[in-house]
Amino acid sequence: MPAFRRQPRLLAVIPARNEAGTVAEVIHGVRAAVGADVLVVSDASDDATAEQARQAGAVVIELPWRLGAWGATQTGMRYALRRGYRRVLTLDADGQHHPQELPALLAEQRRTRSNVVIGTCSERLSAAKRIAWRYFHLLTGIGVQDFTSGLRVYDRRAVRVLAGKAASLLDYQDLGVLMLLRKNGLSLHETPARMSPRRQGGSRVFSSWRMVMRYMLHTTVLCFAQFASSPRRRTPRAAPAALAP
Amino acid sequence: MTAQITAGVIALVLAGAILYMVRRDHLHGSYALWWLAVAAATLALGVFPPVIDWLGRLTGISYAPVLPIIVGIGMILMRMLKMDIDRSRRERQLRRLTQRLALLEQDLRELRAATQAAPRDDAPELPRAAGRR
Repeated sequence: MPAFRRQPRLLAVIPARNEAGTVAEVIHGVRAAVGADVLVVSDASDDATAEQARQAGAVVIELPWRLGAWGATQTGMRYALRRGYRRVLTLDADGQHHPQELPALLAEQRRTRSNVVIGTCSERLSAAKRIAWRYFHLLTGIGVQDFTSGLRVYDRRAVRVLAGKAASLLDYQDLGVLMLLRKNGLSLHETPARMSPRRQGGSRVFSSWRMVMRYMLHTTVLCFAQFASSPRRRTPRAAPAALAP
Repeated sequence: MTAQITAGVIALVLAGAILYMVRRDHLHGSYALWWLAVAAATLALGVFPPVIDWLGRLTGISYAPVLPIIVGIGMILMRMLKMDIDRSRRERQLRRLTQRLALLEQDLRELRAATQAAPRDDAPELPRAAGRR
């Protein structure tokens, strides 16, 4: 695909834990859709996820023990930063995100020039998620609806922030990440994307009421901590020139 | 009198245990200092209980024995807070180290593949990849 070669280099990061059944299909889909390099971060999988991903032509990084979904994604961010990728897109390994949606997502990022674009599936938002959204919107003022969506595009500035130490104690790619980005003065943009229901396993966060309560409490504390600390703008405002498409 | 002996024995055992552990080098620098101070305070209060009454008069607390308990609990809470802060720091370091390890492993894998693809005489002998885990 020569059209994509002229674009700044793009890395697709796919965090995966025991997704041997779907990961190869996702990798093929991403390569066909956007021609990006694909990195699979296996979060200490017990099955053949890593082998399947390598056979499908992805670079595979294997974590020696579990760091969680965000820990795996951040490993990808650090890889992207080390190798000089200009943009990172993340999607789940379970096949719920359609690779066909990726070109539109990337185009949206280029068009809006926002640092982060989040793919949202509004039909899929459950009642619990809607309530959670209202609550967190009130608390943080962040207007992102599907804040747990793993379908995202980050530009290099965002990657730099998220690869840093401040993001290392987060557990999910969710509000904590968004708050950190906002604190660093980066812009967020949400765009609708089609998604299918998960084929195997359920949402890690919204699986049971106990988990939801735990998550809400955890994130509330996080909101409080972020709110209490004064906003820092470490990155100078001059950077966007290098990022323009 | 018996009460004073009990207090003295408890203080001696606690201080002795701490001193023994510090002597055995089981505690890292600043922690050893902290625990030595605890041992000294325990010993002083346990062996000379009048000190507590004197402190009570000094601070205006009518029931003096409660003073060391309050101070003790306060210090335990402070200590626990410090421990959790340290643990969070460790957790962060451990996570980053884990990521770094995985990243370097990938670098090594690529280097190894490159040297095997183009073997040269002066290329360093890389150890064979052992079992993945």
